[in-house]
Amino acid sequence: MRKAVGVGLAVLLVGLGLAQGDPREEAKRQKELLLQTSGVLPTELIVAQGEELFRRKGPSGKTLEACDFGLGKGVLEGVAVRLPRYFLDTGKVEDLDGRIVTCMTRVQGYKPEEVKRSEVVALAFYIASKSTGKAIQVRLLFPEERELYALGEKLFWARSGPRDIGCATCHVSYVGKRAGVLSYADVLGKDSSWTHWPAYRYSNDQAWTMQDRIRACYGNLGHPQPALYSVPILALEIFMAYQNRGAQVEEWPAFVR
Amino acid sequence: MRKVALVPLALALAFAFAQRYFSEEELKRIQTGGKAYAEVLANPRPDQALCALHRNRLPGDLLPKFLEEQRALIKYPTSGRLMGDWKRGGAIFNNLQKANCFSCHFGSPVHLGGDVGPSLEKYGLKRGQSEVVQRYTYEVIYNSWAYFPCSVMYRFGAQGLLTPEEIADVVAYLLDPESDFNTRPAVGSK
Repeated sequence: MRKAVGVGLAVLLVGLGLAQGDPREEAKRQKELLLQTSGVLPTELIVAQGEELFRRKGPSGKTLEACDFGLGKGVLEGVAVRLPRYFLDTGKVEDLDGRIVTCMTRVQGYKPEEVKRSEVVALAFYIASKSTGKAIQVRLLFPEERELYALGEKLFWARSGPRDIGCATCHVSYVGKRAGVLSYADVLGKDSSWTHWPAYRYSNDQAWTMQDRIRACYGNLGHPQPALYSVPILALEIFMAYQNRGAQVEEWPAFVR
Repeated sequence: MRKVALVPLALALAFAFAQRYFSEEELKRIQTGGKAYAEVLANPRPDQALCALHRNRLPGDLLPKFLEEQRALIKYPTSGRLMGDWKRGGAIFNNLQKANCFSCHFGSPVHLGGDVGPSLEKYGLKRGQSEVVQRYTYEVIYNSWAYFPCSVMYRFGAQGLLTPEEIADVVAYLLDPESDFNTRPAVGSK
């Protein structure tokens, strides 16, 4: 009986959540609730963990302070809103995740297989937190940046697999419409989805960067996922980031459903 | 003479490349995404490439041929019956892993529906069960692109996601006046 009441209550709550509509408002409410009950947010805990990792010495004896995230060694303020960008030292376009891996391997001396994904995410949370309140400033100055942008745009509009899926098919054609719990975000336009990641997802207790989010888009629709740190993910990222240039980062890491 | 013979060949090659959505250089980059991912993206069907190229809005002059090709993909149950077993159809309609119809369409008495597609609430009661309605419903589910080119709706039959018999079951679920879909209220209905 009790169980039935519980289930009934849960259904009612889910119903209320849906009726409330705006998922961003709901996320804010959940955040308040969590803050009141535990006194600290998961995002804060992960940022703190990232900071600790940032100051940890690698096999080379160096911390990540010896790494250049684009604005000079040790500078973190505002670096994340300028990523992805081309780096002269690697001759590649890198996003926040990729640059962290580069720094851990090239500067700190870790072997690629020693780089843990959870550590990269925590570091991304910490570094991104230093760009809260700033505007996206991704630019297309180098040929490599422009080529990846063009590839990202094509990938965004592609139709593939047995379900004919494609990003634009939902995130352009059906913005605001709902399939499942949430309505489709206008990722290239008013929702500025690029500014929502990295984020903590309270609905399933996950810490994700945009890399994880893109992989989930494919995976949720039964499409093979692009590998982490791969070029297609990077291409989609630079396309979306550039489309969202000028958008202000409300809070990094974000707190989402 | 030789030169003349080369012209059609060059044209054919140009056409073959024009049909490709990604360049060779781009495909190499896509390969870093892994084998399974790259294989799917490297081998789009010509109709998928066409939709992508035109950003899901085909120019009018391409439509007649496109629609004709999509229609040609539609196959029917060997029994010839377009309405199967509505109970089996309901299990397909309401299964997230199977057809997942409810996620986009409102009207299911089992799950709250979405609004990406049109509402199908009491579909059979509103449309009746005439041969024309059965055929239209079957064909849209079998190959949505034969009616709505480049639509987001899965091409269940044309892409092999459901068999003709399974699609006939879903048609019955939507149309049969005895079906739960038509006798029970849709979740979320006012």
